[in-house]
Amino acid sequence: MTDRPVRLEPRAWLLWGLAAGVPPLVGRNPFVLGATLLAVLAVRTVWVGGGDTAAEAPNAGAWRAVVRLAVLFAAIGVVFNVLTVHAGDRVFARIPDGVWIVGGPLTLNALVYGVLSGLAILILVLVGTTLGAVVDGVALLRLLPARLATVAVAGSVAWAFVPQTAAAFGEIREAQAARGFRPRGLRDLLPLVVPLLTNGLERALTLAEALESRGFGAVGPAGHDLQRVGTPSPKPETQSSLAVRDQWPAMLTALGLTGGAVGAYLLAVGQPRPAVLTLGAAACALGFAARASRATVARRTRYRPHRWTRADRLVAAASAILLIIELTVLRLDPSGFRYEPYPSLAAPRVNLLLLAALALLLAPVIASRVDPKTDPAVATVLPPTLGGRGGQS
Amino acid sequence: MTTASREPQVAFDNVSYWYPERAEPALADVEWTVPEGAFVVVAGPSGSGKSTLLRCLNGLVPHFAGGRFGGRVRVGGLDTRRHGPRALSRSVGFVFQDPESQLITNRVEDELAFGMEQLGVAPLTMRKRVEEVLDLLGIAPLRGRDVATLSGGERQRVAVAAALAVQPALLALDEPTSQLDPWGAEEVLTALTRLNDDLGLTVVLAEHRLERVVGHADRLRLLPVPDSTDGVLDGPPRDVLAAMDPTMVPPLVSLARRLGWTPPPLSIKEGRDRLRRDQSDPAPPPPDPSPPGGSPSVEFRNVTLGYGRRAVLRDLDLEARPGELIALMGRNGSGKTTLLRTVIGLHRPSAGQIAVCDRDATRLAPADLARDVGYVPQNPGALLFAETLRAELAFTLKHHLGQGLDPDAVLASLGLTHAAERHPRDLSGGERERAALAAVLVAAPRVLLLDEPTRGMDAARKRALGETLVRLRADGTTILLATHDVELVAGIATRVVLLGDGELVADGPPRAVLSGSLTFATQINKLYGGRFLTVDDVLAGLAVADPRR
Repeated sequence: MTDRPVRLEPRAWLLWGLAAGVPPLVGRNPFVLGATLLAVLAVRTVWVGGGDTAAEAPNAGAWRAVVRLAVLFAAIGVVFNVLTVHAGDRVFARIPDGVWIVGGPLTLNALVYGVLSGLAILILVLVGTTLGAVVDGVALLRLLPARLATVAVAGSVAWAFVPQTAAAFGEIREAQAARGFRPRGLRDLLPLVVPLLTNGLERALTLAEALESRGFGAVGPAGHDLQRVGTPSPKPETQSSLAVRDQWPAMLTALGLTGGAVGAYLLAVGQPRPAVLTLGAAACALGFAARASRATVARRTRYRPHRWTRADRLVAAASAILLIIELTVLRLDPSGFRYEPYPSLAAPRVNLLLLAALALLLAPVIASRVDPKTDPAVATVLPPTLGGRGGQS
Repeated sequence: MTTASREPQVAFDNVSYWYPERAEPALADVEWTVPEGAFVVVAGPSGSGKSTLLRCLNGLVPHFAGGRFGGRVRVGGLDTRRHGPRALSRSVGFVFQDPESQLITNRVEDELAFGMEQLGVAPLTMRKRVEEVLDLLGIAPLRGRDVATLSGGERQRVAVAAALAVQPALLALDEPTSQLDPWGAEEVLTALTRLNDDLGLTVVLAEHRLERVVGHADRLRLLPVPDSTDGVLDGPPRDVLAAMDPTMVPPLVSLARRLGWTPPPLSIKEGRDRLRRDQSDPAPPPPDPSPPGGSPSVEFRNVTLGYGRRAVLRDLDLEARPGELIALMGRNGSGKTTLLRTVIGLHRPSAGQIAVCDRDATRLAPADLARDVGYVPQNPGALLFAETLRAELAFTLKHHLGQGLDPDAVLASLGLTHAAERHPRDLSGGERERAALAAVLVAAPRVLLLDEPTRGMDAARKRALGETLVRLRADGTTILLATHDVELVAGIATRVVLLGDGELVADGPPRAVLSGSLTFATQINKLYGGRFLTVDDVLAGLAVADPRR
């Protein structure tokens, strides 16, 4: 069936993303960055594709916009770096000192640093958008343990909500334009934002009703539904204090996520604060654990759990090996990853083992050639009576 | 009808319900039973409480909605006060009206499995049931599709399939076909009938367009207009139809009542039997009035949109003159909406010319074209944002540099004077549609584009909208109306343009295009054939043939 794209196990993709993300995160060695960029681009071409093969990834268009934005930001970063950082030994031009901020020597060092930083960010964005396009977010969330199933569904609903909201915004913009409306300033956004919010709330309400009627969070015939019967609605004060007591795991999780995001940002801009990251992760884990321990366990089953195919195993194994090599190099020869153009421009170090190992990033390209029909793991997914209907292809 | 040997599937015992912060009850002292295996249609005007009644069936009222609830509802022996929607999801399937927002996951198969996953159905059973419901609703080709790529009709069938996959004893559907084309609706209804007949599934269906469903139903429950003194009518469809307000009944029943046929026929087949015994032979309707002259206000010349096999409009020629009300018809995805959007410049043709009021529409921005063209999109909610309806109209006028009609007169002509100071979001569905229309009409557009304006509207509101459109047309507005509603088109359109796959299939007066059509014939046309389309045609014809009547 052509409309059923071959997908790799999300965990395999995550490993790949991790392996591809290490070089831009830990250093600016141009050889390493260049090799990573080439590998990521190759994978992208095969899996995300352009134009006609977009059937592989339905939301590829949106991701392409993100990449364009990243290229723009990288370019701005280069210019900004050259104009404001006047350090280094290779001066190629000079702006009169009197000019505010940008005045002073323009150095090749700053240009190189800017280009390499931009490259690192671009690679991260490319890896992220590739994952975004090829990994089924819902499938990923389904990997969460059963106790967190409610979190998983909430997340997958949110995942579906984003493109819906984007589509709704387009619809509103067009409807207002057809009414003669030309937005000129920020205040003019009201006719666009108000319907978006109210429509969004209405949609959220319908969705919540649908979730409720489809038994989401059902806990069997005698769940907490029972306690609500006939009890008069509690007074507002009681309600809010109850809410705080009930919601602290969620708050802790939110706090942890924020901490994690800040930590990840600091890491990305080259000022790693492991403490923030660790604390964030710990808070998240604690919050999740608290939630899970409180949730009444619902008996829940899974439709079509993903089986590891030969292609999945190939990508996962290659990525894992690469990760090990990367971490080893990082420990034994960190300069293989790193490059510092200040104070003087010198040739970057070459770690041949690392460069060769980066070829492992191409595993998804090879995996895309594996014919799933010959894969025994795929054949076992379907009971034999249904196998002929082309459910898997 | 299946006679219930045991407790009825649904039993309402003196149920009253108030939404939060409302003084007026939405349900007052409701007594209602649905026998096991019955097919019940709940009808009534907008705001009469159909949705509230249905939501009592799976406990969404009161568990989800809040408010005050008195009395008792038992569904399959379970008291809904004690068992909320989650617990009832095992035995009650629910399908909502809006195809856009009721699907939870992003893949069709996952959607079908969702309810079963929540209930812990064994994986192999789950696989089997997914296959079954895929076939039952004819959606097997959609199994791997992303939900976002489905049409409204496809989504609604997925929603029904997903509700059925859990194998509930009762299926409640809140106007599930109001947004579908006639064929999509028929497929859903046929599937429901089959499930009802073969598997004994109890079906409770809220629906406006009675002509589609009364033939399938065992019982019809008609809720009265809110604030009226009428009581609820509940009984076999024939009895209820004979007793209900004559303006609300399907054309076939309306005709039967005018001609004194008792009992009224419910299906065309029954009508034909009755007609054979009737000796009357109405004179054919008069020839169609000649189309209005004048220069066209919308002119399409060889318009193609999109490329190659993916073209949405192909080589389309169309002229619309002032004083014409053109109905655009065709199945979902045939290009009706795209054609409307092309007129207002939201789509650019890849080839061909479009002139709108003597201006080249292919070069103008929508906001410029809006000077002459008014466009009411399918979802009126996309338009309305202001605090009051009056402010909404003032906003449109501001963008037309104050040129337009008197807002109060527009509101009065649409019967919205009472709502001028209300928040547009607080209006009922039908009122909201008219509010969006008012916000567009106040600019006095020469061309009016309407995309499915009657979806979810009850018979009375539909008639009022029809009258408004006829008045506008008589005043010289060019109206393009995309719709599936054959009876509405037969009543008000001067021309019908039939689209198929982006191509113009037929173009002519309604009598020429609709009569004798397999899919687009009105009930009256199916009965009398010839060029008869409406009840009035037949009555006028009878008056000519036999002046004594």
